[in-house]
Amino acid sequence: MSERLLEVTDLRTTFRTVTGSVPAVGGVSFDLKANETLGIVGESGSGKTVLARTIMGLQPRTNVEVTGSVLLNGHQVVGASERTMRTMWATEVAMVFQDPMTSLNPVMRIGRQIDETLRVRLGMDRRAAHDRALELLTMVGIPSAQSRYRAYPTELSGGMRQRVVIATALACSPKLLIADEPTTGLDVTIQAQILNLLDSLKQQLSMSVILITHDLGVVATRASRIIVMYAGRIVEMGDTRDIFYHHRMPYTRALLESSPKVTNTPHTRLAVIPGRPPNLSTPHPGCPFAPRCAYATERCHVEAPTLVAASAPGHRFACWNPLTETDHPEAR
Amino acid sequence: MLKYVLRRLIMLVGIVFIISVGSFYLIHLLPGDPATVILGTGASPANRAILYKQLGLNKPIIEQYFVWIGNVLHGNLGTSFISQTSVASTIRAAYPIDLELIFLSQVLAFAAAIPLAMRSARKPNGLLDRLLSAGSFTLLSIPPFIIIVLLVLIVSIKLGVANTGPSSFVSFTSNWRVNLTSLALPSITLATASFVLYFRVLRSDMIATLQEEFITMARSKGLSQRRIMWRHAFRPSSVALLGTAGVNIGGLLAGGFVVQYLLGIPGLGYTLISAIASSDYLLVQGIVLVVSVGVVLINFFFDFLTSLVDPRISRE
Repeated sequence: MSERLLEVTDLRTTFRTVTGSVPAVGGVSFDLKANETLGIVGESGSGKTVLARTIMGLQPRTNVEVTGSVLLNGHQVVGASERTMRTMWATEVAMVFQDPMTSLNPVMRIGRQIDETLRVRLGMDRRAAHDRALELLTMVGIPSAQSRYRAYPTELSGGMRQRVVIATALACSPKLLIADEPTTGLDVTIQAQILNLLDSLKQQLSMSVILITHDLGVVATRASRIIVMYAGRIVEMGDTRDIFYHHRMPYTRALLESSPKVTNTPHTRLAVIPGRPPNLSTPHPGCPFAPRCAYATERCHVEAPTLVAASAPGHRFACWNPLTETDHPEAR
Repeated sequence: MLKYVLRRLIMLVGIVFIISVGSFYLIHLLPGDPATVILGTGASPANRAILYKQLGLNKPIIEQYFVWIGNVLHGNLGTSFISQTSVASTIRAAYPIDLELIFLSQVLAFAAAIPLAMRSARKPNGLLDRLLSAGSFTLLSIPPFIIIVLLVLIVSIKLGVANTGPSSFVSFTSNWRVNLTSLALPSITLATASFVLYFRVLRSDMIATLQEEFITMARSKGLSQRRIMWRHAFRPSSVALLGTAGVNIGGLLAGGFVVQYLLGIPGLGYTLISAIASSDYLLVQGIVLVVSVGVVLINFFFDFLTSLVDPRISRE
């Protein structure tokens, strides 16, 4: 068994707003081994991005309360000062941001944006940083890196920009890469390219990856384990096969059914999840998914289910009325 | 980039042409015969004849314009009939004072506004930010002619610092120390209004920029706060600042008159007011032309700076 790179225990991130406190992440525990890819899946507003930023210690400090524990390669992130985090960012953990249109500085040449990490964090001199930046640009598949080095972000396409963001994140060889919906802002054809690139870089650089997405299809072949989040909590987690073929939580099924399949006949109506994600600022005693769940009973509305173990090792779910293990029409 | 500058240059030529037509027509806009306007009602027929010949007043107006613009392009703005001196030489003597005043006041304004705005923006609504916002509002509400009077009263009269009062002006080249001390108070006065403007513009843009995703990304690279503020946030936040500065400096060139007049500093503003008072219309015309072209040039220069700071502007 390889060592644990990341251990998250009962992590809670609460935003204090004028209308009350919002528990964006409400008690999340999981761990991640070295060289593992973990998928985190959920709808918009399920707390995926907040969770990612909390793990990285990137959350703004004002009006946010973080409790619990995040052990990253033995270092505690929760409560660490910005100064401490600065020594971990880029070298221990780095992030690929969601939208490459906004995550690169529009008035800085892309080469400089990669350079400065190398110079500030690794103490490289101008020449060495320049050469390394060119290597990184080539590594992420940017053609004629030499001339692109001097380009401004607006001169590149979205896919190229996301490659630059990836190159920047990988500059100091982080042990953990968090990719927060890295393909949401991109064309479908580019999406696969970027995901395959992340995959091959992960092998090449032997790092761990947390891949955050709302699309189960994205993580299907890439993650070894998947966490399904809803309303800031983990509702099901397990090996990728178990999540796809033996899921127990109705929400996981709803997510699976709402993504189109190649085998569908034309004009098949896509299943949608009725209702909308809950408003987290008004506390709800029961299961947060209950109002939208076809299987909900009286109990679901008054008592919140906790994660319990399923038959497969590491497979856990939070549901009072779980689907039976055989009740999986789409199991192939 | 080159194309952008060329296009702006063509526009510049067009605007300068319109300005020249406007200043030329100024004399003809005034009621009565242009010769009477320029010479005054008591002019002798001989003088009127000379003027008619000099300006070609009996020719059609379009031809008059070309005679006039031809002279202007050769640096000849005519000779004032009031002071019997060439308008061009009067302007040449006055404009360096305006440039010096503007330069000094802007250096002061930027030197104070930039670091304070950066600090303020780091903690919006923090103690420093609230103090500075309140302070800048107070400064904004005091007009420059009050500030200058207060400054003269306190610094020159109460504290007795020499050479800061009215009418003590000497040029920079003849005695730079006296020159700087005599320009200190008007520079500070002009700087206060500019400071408030720049501080507020940069502060709000900095606050907006610091919310941007690329700032979070810069943080996630482990860069220091200082580096993020200056290397990542300042440049994209300074576009509006430069635009404001262009308009503001143009305004100072055209509107720094009050302070000059109150302190007897013989810049273009002072000269213009005296020229109006003595009905020296050729001099008025010359100053209006020079100041307008100056304003346009300053704005062109700042547009150019803006396109250097933000490469997206020249690309469109």
